[in-house]
Amino acid sequence: MNKKRLLIVDDESGFTRLLKLTLEKTGNYIVREENDGTNAWLAARDFRPDLIFLDIVMPKIDGGDVAQQIRSDPMLENVPIVFLTAIVAQRETRNEIGGFPFLAKPVSLDAITKCLAEHFGE
Amino acid sequence: MKSPHNPAPIRVLVVDDNAGDVFLLREMVDGAKSRFRVSAEAGSLEEALRILAEREVDVVLLDLQLPDSRGVDTFSGAHTAAPDVPIIVLSESDDEELALQTVQLGAQEYLVKGRVDGHLLQRALRYAVERARAEVQLASERDLLQTLLENIPDRIYFKDRQSRFIRINRALTTLFGLKTAEEAYGKTDADFYGHEHAGEARQDERRVMETGEPLLGKVEFENLADGRKSWSLTTKLPLRDRQGGIIGTCGISREISELKEMEEQLETERNLLRAVIDNLPDLVFLKDVEGHYLLNNIAHVRWLGATHPREVRGRTVFDFFPDHLAAEFHQGDMKVAEARQPLINQEEHMVDARGNHSWRLTSKIPWLDDNGNTVGLVCISRDVTEQKRAEEHLKKANAELAASREELLHAVRNLQQAHGELRDVQLQLIEAEKMKSIGRLAAGVAHEVKNPLAILKMGLEFLSTQKFTDEHTPEILHEMSDALTRADKVIRGLLDFSAPKQLEVKRESLNAIIENALHLVRGEMKNGVEVELDLQSNLPHLKLDAGKISQVFVNLFTNALHAMENGGLLAVRTFTKQLTGVGSNISDSRSESFRVGQHIVIAEIDDTGHGIPEDKLAKIFEPFFTTKPTGRGTGLGLSVVRTIVDLHGATIDIRNLHEAGVRVTLMFQS
Repeated sequence: MNKKRLLIVDDESGFTRLLKLTLEKTGNYIVREENDGTNAWLAARDFRPDLIFLDIVMPKIDGGDVAQQIRSDPMLENVPIVFLTAIVAQRETRNEIGGFPFLAKPVSLDAITKCLAEHFGE
Repeated sequence: MKSPHNPAPIRVLVVDDNAGDVFLLREMVDGAKSRFRVSAEAGSLEEALRILAEREVDVVLLDLQLPDSRGVDTFSGAHTAAPDVPIIVLSESDDEELALQTVQLGAQEYLVKGRVDGHLLQRALRYAVERARAEVQLASERDLLQTLLENIPDRIYFKDRQSRFIRINRALTTLFGLKTAEEAYGKTDADFYGHEHAGEARQDERRVMETGEPLLGKVEFENLADGRKSWSLTTKLPLRDRQGGIIGTCGISREISELKEMEEQLETERNLLRAVIDNLPDLVFLKDVEGHYLLNNIAHVRWLGATHPREVRGRTVFDFFPDHLAAEFHQGDMKVAEARQPLINQEEHMVDARGNHSWRLTSKIPWLDDNGNTVGLVCISRDVTEQKRAEEHLKKANAELAASREELLHAVRNLQQAHGELRDVQLQLIEAEKMKSIGRLAAGVAHEVKNPLAILKMGLEFLSTQKFTDEHTPEILHEMSDALTRADKVIRGLLDFSAPKQLEVKRESLNAIIENALHLVRGEMKNGVEVELDLQSNLPHLKLDAGKISQVFVNLFTNALHAMENGGLLAVRTFTKQLTGVGSNISDSRSESFRVGQHIVIAEIDDTGHGIPEDKLAKIFEPFFTTKPTGRGTGLGLSVVRTIVDLHGATIDIRNLHEAGVRVTLMFQS
């Protein structure tokens, strides 16, 4: 079974590192962290993830714009993007922002596992 | 010879030194039927005088030729000694000169011896006695008159036709400053008085003489030539001779300067009093007990419509007013007179004789005589129309002032109310602004706090996958996880509270939203809590923001469940209703969104929990207010509920149920 490749774009390096550690520990994922939003698109090109977790509020660039860049790239246009953000409560947004699925911070491991399972059909 | 039946004979003294003559005379005097009798004889004047001194003689027959006296001296001696006793002279000689002399001196008769017979002598004696008696009488009267003239203090005069004095009395003599009356005789008034009085007196006297009519009691002002002045009361009469012809005037005049002075004083006083009452604007008058006016001042005279006090004096009020009015006035006055009680400053409305209306302040005082009997009434009445008018003006002004004050107070109250409302609005605005700030703050804080929370949570979850050999670590991790959840909850509450206030409304089923919300709070339900649903099946769909309304019910259910820690019943009902009137459910100020007759949808949530302390009910919608223990509530739940309900134009009412627990009533417009 192939390990799924996950790109986590978030300026909070503590969070990305913990999430990477936790997910890789399951043995099912290869996780790459990217703490600079402006590098997200290049990192995605380089890493070719199966799914991208994307923060919305970042210092130099908005998560929405990053999503736009990636969606505009024919090589990456089919890569699913899941927003991970602290700005809204999940209940309010009915689980999506701008057409993308969305998980609210602080997020539980369960929610992430559930989300990945939905995407990867397991 | 005496006759007992005859009256006492008249005593005759015969004085003659010739015995023959004496005998002869005695024969003639004492004759038969004679009333005379010689009672004494004297041969000398000396002897005669002695007898006369004894006054025992009625008449004297006197011979002038006596041994101790001769001629006229004899007569003078005898006459002086007894002037009252008539003397008939008997003489040897028929001396015309001597005869005339003696008669002029007072002899009654001069008879020549030898030519006298008894008859003649008797007659002479008789006449002498009679004449003497008349003279005595006359003298007596003259003396009386003289006494009167000399002693009376009134001035008496007699004047001839040319108004020359012919006789004046002592008083007038004194007035003229003369020593004797005679000094005035032949003079006129012009010699003693100023020409004014003299001329007037002269005229008066002329008139008296022309008409023969007396001038009685004329008051004259006399100015004497030397400057003295006096007042006198004079009566002048025509002076007539025995034939009745007017030969002059006589008059009597009495000094009345003192009286006049007194009169003038009285007059002055009277004028002063008159001036006082006539110059008073008040009506002043006196009435007798029959109502006749006795004294009226000018003001009262005019008030009665008359021009002079004499038109009023003696008349009554009936002469000046119509009978019905007069009767009323009269009765009022008489009542005071009868009661003998003064009426002081009675205010009355009056109409005068010309029909002028006035308000008067009237005093009526019973007028008593020295014996205490009521003899009349003293009245004084003052026109107070102006004062009355001013008073009424003042009253009106006061009333207006009071009214203005009332209006002012009303305006002030309105202002205060407006101010209060403004303050409320201001507070609401401040509150809204505060909320906005809190919202912005909350959003910022939420984001900043959530990231670290995410790391913590991730870390905790990573750690919980590890195997620990000690027994405490998993427990500690669990506690930490709980704390993290609570922190997240607070942050979520803040975000809900600060969420944008725009609604995305669609036609939604309220029942579906309620059921969904109940599902969401399953986790909070403790053992022993029962849920009873009574949702009206054909409830109309409402225009709602489903997510926000769902949050409302989640919050309300959560509160209800928190209130029933030890179990209870959560009952939820929905139903429609047509508003029939303003009831307790819509007593809220937002009830103005609803109209009578409108169909509304109501959702009611009852719990059987501990309820809300009554004193906290008013505050439950305030942000950050909570009755829950620390850690259980954020104090934002109901605040969010209220905001969302308001945005929907719905109402919410929360009250304690009588038995136990709380009822929340939500009313939506259908």
